[in-house]
Amino acid sequence: MPMARVVDAVDLKKTYMLGKVPVEALRGVNLKVENGDFVAILGPSGSGKSTLLNLIGGLDKPTAGTLLIDGVDVSTLNDNQLADLRRRIGFVFQFFNLILRFTARDNVELSMSIAGMSREERRKHAGDLLETVGLKDRMNHKPAELSGGEQQRVAIARALANNPRFLLMDEPTGNIDSKTASEMMKLIKNLNEKGVTIIMVTHDQRLAREAKRTVQMFDGVITSDLVN
Amino acid sequence: MKTRDVFSYSFSAIKLRKLRAGLTTLGVVIGIAAIVALLSITQGLQNTITLQLEKGLAADTLVVSPGRGVFGGGAGVGGGFGGGDSDFRLMINDTATINGLSSDIEASVAVIQRAVYIKSTERLVTLNVVGVDFAQYVDIYSGTFVAGSGTINLNPENDTVVIGKRLNDPWKNNTLLFNVNDNVEIIWTNATTRPPKNETYTGHVTAILKEIGGFGFGGPSDTGVYIPILQAQSFFGTEESDMIIVKLKNSDNATITTVSKAITDYFSNEVSVVSSSYVLSLLSSVFSIIQLFLVGIAAISLLVAGIGIMNIMIVSLIERTREIGILKALGMKSRTVLLIFLSESVIIGLIGAVIGVVLGWGLANMVAIVFSGGGPFQGIGENQTATRIENAGMTITPVLSPIVFMGSLVFGIGVSVIFALYPAWRASKLKPVEALRYE
Repeated sequence: MPMARVVDAVDLKKTYMLGKVPVEALRGVNLKVENGDFVAILGPSGSGKSTLLNLIGGLDKPTAGTLLIDGVDVSTLNDNQLADLRRRIGFVFQFFNLILRFTARDNVELSMSIAGMSREERRKHAGDLLETVGLKDRMNHKPAELSGGEQQRVAIARALANNPRFLLMDEPTGNIDSKTASEMMKLIKNLNEKGVTIIMVTHDQRLAREAKRTVQMFDGVITSDLVN
Repeated sequence: MKTRDVFSYSFSAIKLRKLRAGLTTLGVVIGIAAIVALLSITQGLQNTITLQLEKGLAADTLVVSPGRGVFGGGAGVGGGFGGGDSDFRLMINDTATINGLSSDIEASVAVIQRAVYIKSTERLVTLNVVGVDFAQYVDIYSGTFVAGSGTINLNPENDTVVIGKRLNDPWKNNTLLFNVNDNVEIIWTNATTRPPKNETYTGHVTAILKEIGGFGFGGPSDTGVYIPILQAQSFFGTEESDMIIVKLKNSDNATITTVSKAITDYFSNEVSVVSSSYVLSLLSSVFSIIQLFLVGIAAISLLVAGIGIMNIMIVSLIERTREIGILKALGMKSRTVLLIFLSESVIIGLIGAVIGVVLGWGLANMVAIVFSGGGPFQGIGENQTATRIENAGMTITPVLSPIVFMGSLVFGIGVSVIFALYPAWRASKLKPVEALRYE
């Protein structure tokens, strides 16, 4: 069976209410992401890139237009099916969003536990993943005992845990220093070279240049879509 | 998500806020402990009273008393307190009539009861004196109307007095109140004359009964004073009987019902006939009401605990909004979020209920020890003019029935879960995008 396109958005619109004022965050976005792609979405704040990210991440539904994720039309899904879809997406947030009372390993295990994997299986897999991101010797530490870069690595390991169709990253280097950021980029590129599809939102031009493709957004539409 | 993982996730959340969870649990502990303590004590008390009644109240005897008394008569004829204002009198010689009413009746004995003062060398005691025909009485109560020391003359002299064991040695330390061969003065205040007049005669203690135990409802008791019926008739100046005790040949329910009906019918419902089984069933229904009432009060404290749980869960839900967002972003279904919150309440409820049952059981046993075993509430209360004999030495053994045990656990967990439903539902309904944005 041929793999479906990772993301296929056609004339995607999203309007939400800010108090009583309707805000058109997306005003007709067309975006296709193929398997193995590495897309950086750039744009100033308010350009709609976070809204697009939420839609691609299955956290929200579009107001109009069609959005196929892994071949599934999200507007036809109910809350439960949307939750199932999110298990096939690896989220990496700007603020890491780790569970603070859990160790690095428990955080990585959490997404597998949500997917219903057995304890033994996920224990082993979490160890492997943390080794991949270079945190094997830190896996029994809690987020408070880890640096920003290390926390982001844990988040990446967690995102990879359920073998997602793609990684969705929101400002992955937004909260870490520049030296750590370039190491982080190496790791991300490395993952992409191993075949992981990556969609990354950033406002850092330097970072975006590392991607295979750069999408510029402004005022709710895509203004340019270039292959680097 | 697997059930085990749901619980272990909930448990990690509880562990993070130990003090808060502990205080929430304490609410459940107090509620359940109160329920268990109250129920097991009343159950124990009921058992004790039932046992004592069964000792004193032979199953094959009926007690006939004038008026539609508080017990309402076997047939359940309404009846107010004390029997109303009928001028019906139960006479001493009615025993002969009663004996003829049914072939199931073996014997009957009339009883006169009066409150009197009994004066020994240095003490004045208020007591109930019972006038009976000793020969008939011993026929019916051959097992209990038995001399422990001295002798019971079945053709007694007029001044013969037989006393119960507790009047002989009330403190159980050989400090004797009355003894065989003591002369006692019996003082009765005759209220039928104007002004009321004290009547006195000197009795002679010829026997002390063996220890009986129990309340001796109608029958011989450890705190009873027995004088010959003829003496009672002339001293109290009456031909009336306060009650007639009827001994049956069989103690099965059918006999009890038939004979009770024959007697009440004969006396045109002017008497009440009480059997031991009737008293026991009445007792058990009274206790059910008391238990229901006490459980109701204890349940209020559990209700308060439930509101505490709800409060804590709402606070916890607000604090963990972002966490819920993360869980949902990682693909957790709303249903699982609901389960996580509910299982937190199940854990709190279960721990609270288990501790509560243990604590309540301990409390019940402590109270039982204080009330029985020579505690401060037992025995003889003395004042300047008269010594009163009370409390026939009860021992309460708290009872924790499996139903109460399981019920408390289920109730504790149930209350926790019910009050967690709303917060859990709210948590499950959080929108992932908004929850993730929450600071």
